[in-house]
Amino acid sequence: MEYNILSLPNPFPKISPLVNFARKLLLHDKPRFILSVMGVAFAVSLVLLQIGLFMGILDNASITIDHLEADLWVTSKNTPNIDFAHTFPETYLQRVRSVPGVGRADNLIIWYMLIALPTGSQETVLVYAMEDFARWHFPWLVAEGDLRDLRRGRYFFMDDSASKRFGPFAVGEHREIVEHRLKIMGRTREAISFTTSPVVFMDYRIAQALDPNTLSGRTTYVIVKLEPGADIEAVRAELRRRLPYNDIHTKAEWREISRDYWVTSTGIGLNMFLSAFLGALVGVVIVAQTLYASTMAHLREFGVIKAIGGSNADCYNILAQQAVIAALMGYAGGYLLAQAMVPAVAQMDLKLIITQQLSAAVFAGTLLLCLAAALFSFRSIASLDPALVFRG
Amino acid sequence: MQACGVGKVFREGDREFPVLAEVWLDLAVGEIVSLEGRSGSGKTTLLSILGCILTPTTGQVTVEGRLADTARPQVLAAIRRRSIGFIFQQFNLFQALTCIENVEYALNLKGYKGGAAHREAWRVIEAVGLADHADFLPRDISGGQKQRVAIARALAGRSPVLLADEPTANLDSVTASGILQLFRQLVRQEGRALLIVTHDHQVRTIADRTLFIQDGHLRNGQPE
Repeated sequence: MEYNILSLPNPFPKISPLVNFARKLLLHDKPRFILSVMGVAFAVSLVLLQIGLFMGILDNASITIDHLEADLWVTSKNTPNIDFAHTFPETYLQRVRSVPGVGRADNLIIWYMLIALPTGSQETVLVYAMEDFARWHFPWLVAEGDLRDLRRGRYFFMDDSASKRFGPFAVGEHREIVEHRLKIMGRTREAISFTTSPVVFMDYRIAQALDPNTLSGRTTYVIVKLEPGADIEAVRAELRRRLPYNDIHTKAEWREISRDYWVTSTGIGLNMFLSAFLGALVGVVIVAQTLYASTMAHLREFGVIKAIGGSNADCYNILAQQAVIAALMGYAGGYLLAQAMVPAVAQMDLKLIITQQLSAAVFAGTLLLCLAAALFSFRSIASLDPALVFRG
Repeated sequence: MQACGVGKVFREGDREFPVLAEVWLDLAVGEIVSLEGRSGSGKTTLLSILGCILTPTTGQVTVEGRLADTARPQVLAAIRRRSIGFIFQQFNLFQALTCIENVEYALNLKGYKGGAAHREAWRVIEAVGLADHADFLPRDISGGQKQRVAIARALAGRSPVLLADEPTANLDSVTASGILQLFRQLVRQEGRALLIVTHDHQVRTIADRTLFIQDGHLRNGQPE
């Protein structure tokens, strides 16, 4: 039978730049490929969940700082974070207000107090007390009630998050705080403490009256809003001069101090790091193992590539492409999985914060680690003798 | 292609195992040479050396007038890429690629891209009579068809030298006969040189010359 080389028409006139051997090799071995992608997806979701939850918890540590319109915070010396305050004389407020560039300044008490529940048990609440909350647009999310009512008597607002711990409550009900009967006049949302103690808001003088031994004539913070155009460093320098036994922090600094306290002074930071590290390690091991197994299974084909003139770089290119494909698909799966967890996490009163920066960093890390995993297979290729193609 | 005084000695520790001794061989364009010999006689070793996969202990190989510089693996790889097409006993096709892709990928490695690679792949796939099976995976075609794909892959890129290692060993006699006829036609038509290492006496029917290798020594005519 004779074949005419040039006479047959090309029935499939598709034109592709290069045959994507790497992708086809992966898809040819679907179970191994799926395992590899699942491994990466698992690792990515684990890392995103760990860091996202950590960032969500840390967000609680600074959420009130973020929402208060204060440019500067006057604290007692060495206050470790916003929830663990110490007192100083409230009259310092006058010194603050007299500094040029200060637009407005007010005392703020943040203090733990005991609350008696209808069940008879006692719990701790974190009290935020100011003379005029409305002026600072704080709390930032009022679900029910009028903040101006707080100035009219023994009233308080309680955050909705308290209902899980204290049981349901409603505006108009009464609770005993430090054995004083106060009426609930409103409800807020999203005001959460890192310590998980529910947050309540009340008038400054009422808070002092509830705990006179500690708080009478004293405050825990002075918050400062600068005049438009004022030089924050100049104002801070003057405040430091006038209040040498206090610390003066900018909003950003105080935010970082409050967050860093929990990261460095507790095991939470290390725990997060270890979990994220282990997640990444699991991903790398799975990708490395599956790529290595795939390389071993196709060693003869890599030998053929080298025998017909392909270089080690051609083989590395295939492995690197496979690693990148596993990374891309695994990342997409892991990211979607983590995003799908957001509502479930919210049901548990936790926050999962996956920022664009975190997503980008985890993506870059996934790509790099998958490529690193491919290095294990590079060694087998480098030492591969193409003469194996002649063996039976 | 020329082999000038090629010898090969394998070493294991202090022990030496001579496999080839002083092999001289010329392979001309349009010529089919059959190389026969018993198992262990050195056939495949010679083929590997001629294919610039294995380096000789003594002597040298010249392909298209260029000396195969055994000290530089990248030079040997470049010669393989440019000048030599391989056909293997085990076919050695890429199982994840279709027939046409097997050829096209080999062309990609040789530097052909896009439309040029695709056109050349089609040319050789049609030449071996597999246009109807171009999009089949190797697992879905017969042994004879696999060997045709392997031949197409070796032909692709117009390598002047084709080296075939037992190309009919895994085929039934009818299919083997068809493959040999295809070899003869393509070598004549495309102006290639073909060396076939074989145990199969059928190969003699298409060969211009038959060489025998015995204990590492190459001879014309019948073995002693």
